Amino acid sequence: MEAWNAAAPDWMLRAPENVQDLFYKLFKCFLYDGRWRMYLSGLKNTLLLTLFALLLGVVLGVVISLIRVTWDKTHEEMRPGLGKVLLGTANAISKVYLTVIRGTPVVVQIMIMFFVIFASSRNKLLVGSLSFGINSGAYVAEIIRSGIMSIDAGQMEAGRSLGFGYVPTMRYVILPQAFKNVLPALGNEFITLLKETAVVGYIGLSDLTYAGNTVGGITYEYLFPLLAVAAVYLILVMIFSGLVGRLERRLRTSER
Amino acid sequence: MNDDFIIRAENVQKHFGRGKIKALDGVSADIRRGEVVVIIGPSGSGKSTFLRCLNLLEIPTGGRILFEGSDITDRKSNINRYRQKMGMVFQHFNLFPHMTVLKNMTLAPMKLLGKSRAEAEAKAMSLLERVGLADRAGAYPAQLSGGQKQRIAIVRALCMDPEVMLFDEPTSALDPEMVGEVLEVMKQLAREGMTMVVVTHEMGFAREVGSRVLFMDEGKIMEENVPEELFAHPKSERLQSFLSKVL
Repeated sequence: MEAWNAAAPDWMLRAPENVQDLFYKLFKCFLYDGRWRMYLSGLKNTLLLTLFALLLGVVLGVVISLIRVTWDKTHEEMRPGLGKVLLGTANAISKVYLTVIRGTPVVVQIMIMFFVIFASSRNKLLVGSLSFGINSGAYVAEIIRSGIMSIDAGQMEAGRSLGFGYVPTMRYVILPQAFKNVLPALGNEFITLLKETAVVGYIGLSDLTYAGNTVGGITYEYLFPLLAVAAVYLILVMIFSGLVGRLERRLRTSER
Repeated sequence: MNDDFIIRAENVQKHFGRGKIKALDGVSADIRRGEVVVIIGPSGSGKSTFLRCLNLLEIPTGGRILFEGSDITDRKSNINRYRQKMGMVFQHFNLFPHMTVLKNMTLAPMKLLGKSRAEAEAKAMSLLERVGLADRAGAYPAQLSGGQKQRIAIVRALCMDPEVMLFDEPTSALDPEMVGEVLEVMKQLAREGMTMVVVTHEMGFAREVGSRVLFMDEGKIMEENVPEELFAHPKSERLQSFLSKVL
């Protein structure tokens, strides 16, 4: 309170009591003791965590979906041999991965990662990114797989009939179309990922949500910190949706 | 017999469900250079399956396919190399919808034959000129009519300079008024000496440009003759009843 009396301009101290009270709460939630820095470093952690998880998720998702699709489409006509054994094994591993990751809560996964598998590591950001990336990868894989399967079989046949192998046909013909079809679903998955990182506080990484919660705990004033945190997530999601929408419109030029 | 055959099919079989369904039951045929072989027959007779076996889009469960003397059904052969020389046109066109007409036509020559963009585009434009679609080079497939799409699909295959062209019911998915423009392109191609294998229901086309007609039914070639003979004096009962329905 002394800090407030010292910092507040005169006109604020002269304002009616309830208005002054509001200003005082805002002051102690965001300004006093440099608390805005907690939100800022929390935001930085949330963004870094989302970015790393997103990159890992996309890479994992593309690889897993290609393994699954290639196996499903070709294993009946593939000649027996090492290649088939390897692809079959990769496919089986992928299926287990998808089942386990999609079948358990992400909070449990990060806790297992942090407290069990990487119990000796104190790098919470790294373990968090790894956990969310592995988690997101499973969903991205199924999204991309659905996109590839939505492409008419005639497209693969046309590519092959021109003399392209399986992989180049995927690359030049199938994947660009599949990507365009699943962009809305991918955008949705990324938004979900951004918001899901809020549970990283379970392993004590101070992300945006954690910052809001901490300030609330110090000041006994939860309303403003949590509203502010919610507003930041909302703004981030809106920016992101806008970017995805733009990309969608750009890719849609070929449809008419 | 002329030995200059491009494709020789020897006792080709295609069985589904462990031999219960015999889509192809021992089909043998030679496609000689410069010939236009037309395959006719009722639906389900295996004519499309046979055509698709020629470039291994369908893998035969028995028999051999020789392309210019080499066995392409041999597991060790590189089918992608042979397919470059066998153009294929599909019933549903199968143009790449995310690319312009020009890109559709230049993709394979640039990536597979190592042509420069300028080279590939020059070739594509001259082919588009020939089918009267040069002004649509920048269009996307969704902006074209069915007949235009099929003509593009034909010249896309021609961009690879194939030795033989396979047509899988190229006019079956077209509105009636667009069939003519596609057949005209095919006739022009035949006149220029392109070797063609055509699965079709267009008896007029078979009669006019076919050098030989194969009649298929129940996975076998039932009758084979020059078009004048085959249409005027069908020998088998199956062909007689088929012709009475379609002519």
